[in-house]
Amino acid sequence: MSKAKTQQPAVIHKVIMVGSGGVGKSALTLQFMYEEFVEDYEPTKADSYRKKVVLDGEEVQIDILDTAGQEDYAAIRDNYFRTGEGFLCVFSIKEQESFQATQEFREQILRVKNDENIPFLLVGNMIDLKDQRQVTYEEALKRAQEWRVPYVETSAKTCVNVDKVFYDLMREIRSRKMEAIRQNNGKQKKREKKRKCTIL
Amino acid sequence: MGDGLARILTKQSFDPEAFIAKLAIDGEDALLDMRQKVHALNEDTAQALKKNVYKNYSQFIETAKEISILEGEMYQLSNMLTEEKSLMSSMMKLSLVSDKAMVEGPKEEKKEESPEEETRRNLAFLLEKVEGCSSVTEVPGRHLVHDTDLVEVEPETFVQIQRTHAFLLSDSLMMATWVPTRRGPMRYRFQGLYELDSLAVVNVRDAGPIKNAFKILMFPETRMYQADSAKSKRQWLDILEDTKKKKAVKDKQKKEAANRLSDQLSPSPVNSPMGEKGLPSPVFKDAPEEPVTIDTDFLQADWLEELPEDLDMLIAQRNFEGAVDSVEKVTEYLKACPKGPALKEFKARIDHRVKQLTDGLMSELQVSPERSLRGGPRAARHAVTQLIRLAKSAQACDLFLKNRSAVIRYNIRQLKFEGATTLYIRCLCTVFFSSLSDTAKEFLKAFPDHYGCYSAFVIWAKQELVSFVSIFRRQVFESKASLTTIAECVQLAKKHCAELSSIGVDMEFSLASMMDLPIQQVIEETRDQMVEGIKYRTQDELWRPLNLQNKADCDKFVAEMKALGFDVKPYVSDVCFVALTHNTVQFAKSSLTFVDDLLRLYTIELENMIALAIQTVFTAQMQQFQAALKSDKFQSERSTIVKNAQFVGEKVIGRIFTLYQQNDVTLPLQLQTVQMNFRQIK
Ligand SMILES: Nc1nc2c(ncn2[C@@H]2O[C@H](COP(=O)(O)OP(=O)(O)OP(=O)(O)O)[C@@H](O)[C@H]2O)c(=O)[nH]1
Ligand SMILES: [Mg+2]
Repeated sequence: MSKAKTQQPAVIHKVIMVGSGGVGKSALTLQFMYEEFVEDYEPTKADSYRKKVVLDGEEVQIDILDTAGQEDYAAIRDNYFRTGEGFLCVFSIKEQESFQATQEFREQILRVKNDENIPFLLVGNMIDLKDQRQVTYEEALKRAQEWRVPYVETSAKTCVNVDKVFYDLMREIRSRKMEAIRQNNGKQKKREKKRKCTIL
Repeated sequence: MGDGLARILTKQSFDPEAFIAKLAIDGEDALLDMRQKVHALNEDTAQALKKNVYKNYSQFIETAKEISILEGEMYQLSNMLTEEKSLMSSMMKLSLVSDKAMVEGPKEEKKEESPEEETRRNLAFLLEKVEGCSSVTEVPGRHLVHDTDLVEVEPETFVQIQRTHAFLLSDSLMMATWVPTRRGPMRYRFQGLYELDSLAVVNVRDAGPIKNAFKILMFPETRMYQADSAKSKRQWLDILEDTKKKKAVKDKQKKEAANRLSDQLSPSPVNSPMGEKGLPSPVFKDAPEEPVTIDTDFLQADWLEELPEDLDMLIAQRNFEGAVDSVEKVTEYLKACPKGPALKEFKARIDHRVKQLTDGLMSELQVSPERSLRGGPRAARHAVTQLIRLAKSAQACDLFLKNRSAVIRYNIRQLKFEGATTLYIRCLCTVFFSSLSDTAKEFLKAFPDHYGCYSAFVIWAKQELVSFVSIFRRQVFESKASLTTIAECVQLAKKHCAELSSIGVDMEFSLASMMDLPIQQVIEETRDQMVEGIKYRTQDELWRPLNLQNKADCDKFVAEMKALGFDVKPYVSDVCFVALTHNTVQFAKSSLTFVDDLLRLYTIELENMIALAIQTVFTAQMQQFQAALKSDKFQSERSTIVKNAQFVGEKVIGRIFTLYQQNDVTLPLQLQTVQMNFRQIK
């Protein structure tokens, strides 16, 4: 079997898009990946993407898992969330309900990851449609501060803050990883190795 | 010179008249000379012609031989191809991927089949392909929905790791890794079983160089697989989702039913978007982590692990003996093994192969029209020996004898029936009885000390004899053959049959009892024909002595009669007259043949019947003499009539007595009475 190993950067940051259905998770992802905006709405199931990026001069890979706004089974969602190192929790500023739902996503992530400081950004999308705004900047910011996470408003359509949210999250993830390495020197590596063993 | 002449004569434009005219000019000598030359040429040509015919004849024979050999080869070739075909199709059956599922996707109609049956069928098949999956196959109601080969990819680095095969079952996904060093159907080793309830599937839309991939997330595992086409991947995602949904619906129905029963103790938080926050139960099981029991330790030996595959190989190579050796070895070894689930699984695998092995051996003995019988008894014995070792002696015995029956039938069919009945029967007897005796010898060799099988052989031999006799009857008795021919044939059969007793097979009595009835019939028929003949011939009997015209012919006649054992010299008078009538001579000849034939058919059972038949014939003849003596018409021939009667009474009956003596048969009273009656004729 041919080893399809091209020279890929060793560091991979795993980002997960969460949020209610139709808020623009896929739109943001595709804008970030391919710089295009998809007008049609096609509900996602679970898609993953990989991209090579330069993060503050360092070549890394970003792995994006774009999840479904509607997933019927909590247990399945848990399995997705477990694989993430950082989360973009998206709501639509023109949909109050989607904002409310972020609360539950947050709780589930904290439970699954069991980590209060998990890299996490609250993302208010669709700011190109400010006139239809239902969620004020203030109330969103307030919630973000409660959670001690950044709040960023984006537009997948007009490409506002799209790269920013991904890069900001990656930075968070990177600093968390550095911290972890500093704290439990080598522990991370060991875990990686052990995992490979079970696979092989 | 001759050549030159030949050339001239064979010329297309040869004009015989002009040629002769030209020769005639040179005069008589030249013509005579030419005549000589032409004569010589004629002889040469005849010789050459003969040679050419002979040459072509041998060429013809050679060609015919060549053709028959070629025919045989073609036949063999076709056999080999058929065998190849069946081999291929059995290999196709072994192949893991069910093309059906690949091409058609999940089958809706599968639901209509009995789910139990479906399970057993599909999952028993898994047991054969995937090592260590017996716990998977034991779940009732579980069935196979979809399966294909997939390549496992390292989810972080995207490096291809190994070949796997994914089996989507109705309630779970089983992954199996390919074991490259394996042969036979057991090519995969159980890797993991994921329950569909909490299985998360990710469509990998962009993974750089890795196309058609998807991920399976099941805590703590993340595995990535690559399908061989976009279509195959799409199929996997769709079928996975579909199957998950179906399972969820089923579970929900079950749960609701259970809830209704348990009187709804607590309200279930159904509509919460997060659903229940119950912890998922990981079900992944790695092969080495299976519950370790004592029997697994026992089964750890390398040779044991390799054994099922080795058996497959031996069977495929038709090394049946080696396969049976291995089976015996492992059976012996497993006797000491503590009972446990691993042993059960292992035994199931071995048993499966023993069945294949048995089938293979049986087919070796099986008679099929397209298979050549040339394998012969040795191959059959070989197969039998192995079957006996596998404790299948009854089947082996049955098949062995069936095989032998086919061989006999085949050999008999090879005989061409050409004209002479005796010749055919001679061949038939040789073929049949030698096959029978070969079989007996083979049987004793193949089933030594299996006395239970011997009775099967006896029954078989009797049946074969019955079918032999039926052919014999058709060819001999129903073919209007003469009594002489029939007697010869019967004698042949009896002689061959008697020879069998030298190897301990005594079937003379059976043969005789089967032949008795037709023999009696034919004796009666012949007797009646003779009586009819006697009556018919005397109608125009004039009781005149034979006139042989001249001395030479008369001497010839005397010699001829002498050869038959009759001294007719005293009956000769006036150079060429013999005082016997044509009919008397005829009767003497035919009755002698009749008696000779009857004595050849002689058995104790037929003794009386034979004597009576002879008596009837002679009495019929005697009555003709008596009638003639009484008749006014033949007043002047009385002395000739009496002479003829005495000839029959003394000479012919005397010859018959001699025949009885020669055949060591005691003279029956009836014949002595007949002679007495003849002596009273005056
Ligand atoms: N005007 C505007 N429309 C947007 C924006 N982002 C997404 N949309 C539209 O909103 C619809 C839904 O967007 P998606 O990205 O598919 O939503 P999603 O969050 O992935 O939804 P699920 O996959 O169902 O969870 C699409 O028609 C998008 O074109 C935005 O920033 N501005
Ligand atoms: Mg989407």
